[in-house]
Amino acid sequence: MGEVIVITSGKGGVGKTTTTANLGAGLSKLDQKVVVIDTDLGLRNLDVVMGLENLIVYNLVDVIEGTCRLKQALIRDKRYENLYLLPSAQTKDKTAISPGQMKKLTSELRDEFDYILLDCPAGIEQGFMNAIAGADRAIIVTTPEVSAIRDADRIIGLLENNKLKQMDLIINRIRIDMVKRGDMMTVDDVTEILSVPLIGALPDDEQVVIGTNQGEPVIGLDSRAGTAYMNICKRIMGNEVPFMELTNNTGFLSRITGLFKKD
Amino acid sequence: MLRKSSVSIAKDRVKALVVSDRVHCTPDVYDNICRELYSSLSKYIELTEDDFQVNIKRTQVVITFAGEEV
Repeated sequence: MGEVIVITSGKGGVGKTTTTANLGAGLSKLDQKVVVIDTDLGLRNLDVVMGLENLIVYNLVDVIEGTCRLKQALIRDKRYENLYLLPSAQTKDKTAISPGQMKKLTSELRDEFDYILLDCPAGIEQGFMNAIAGADRAIIVTTPEVSAIRDADRIIGLLENNKLKQMDLIINRIRIDMVKRGDMMTVDDVTEILSVPLIGALPDDEQVVIGTNQGEPVIGLDSRAGTAYMNICKRIMGNEVPFMELTNNTGFLSRITGLFKKD
Repeated sequence: MLRKSSVSIAKDRVKALVVSDRVHCTPDVYDNICRELYSSLSKYIELTEDDFQVNIKRTQVVITFAGEEV
């Protein structure tokens, strides 16, 4: 039985889609059968980030409305073994599908796939409700910024109300130079506020931009972000992987205390 | 030179925002809640302002004093 994971954030532009694409590619590299679903109706993006935009024939709404069979709408990513994309519809809006329909779809996919990753739209409206309807667990993506953390906290509250089994946090776009200067919140600062277990901290990495330019997941490139994403994939599968050295603070005292801290 | 690090400002701001979002009130109202909780509790329990703290979590309000959580 596959696991349904929604990747969500509240705020837009923090890296949900890039994260979905990379986790999908990473999990498939770890020999898992994965489908990534773009649930952002009207603003189709995941296909572009993955470089599969020219292969779309049918989409999520076609499947739900019965215009095509599920198998016809799934696009296989040839670069990865067992990675499939179910793209969103560019011309429909969030009311075209309901939470009940999403739940039915994800439960069908469970038989076929090990992981079903849902790229959630920004906001807390129906698109969000659709995306979380069938999910077992959530990965919340945030950046070390006031507005992103605030929105993440609201999202976590809504997820708690919807009784998701498990929630994990990804902190994206950490600039180590700024953290050192005291101009960017540390991983610990963010987890303290949100009190959700950390599953990954990603450095702000140029390679991510280069990867999305080319429609290539950064996980396939030799980069710090790629390694961090790969580690997250292993943690999703239940493996314990030590966190990458993302120096939180260079102060002597914090370095000493850091030695005794388990994170 | 002696600039306050922007992180401490950010942390104060985000903490205030998160608390007011969690209980649907403005940061001022949160301060009042804390003050009134303190004044009513201090009638029954011996405590000082230093060891009294109100934490508003997403699912519950936690009152902490003398290092113990209640």
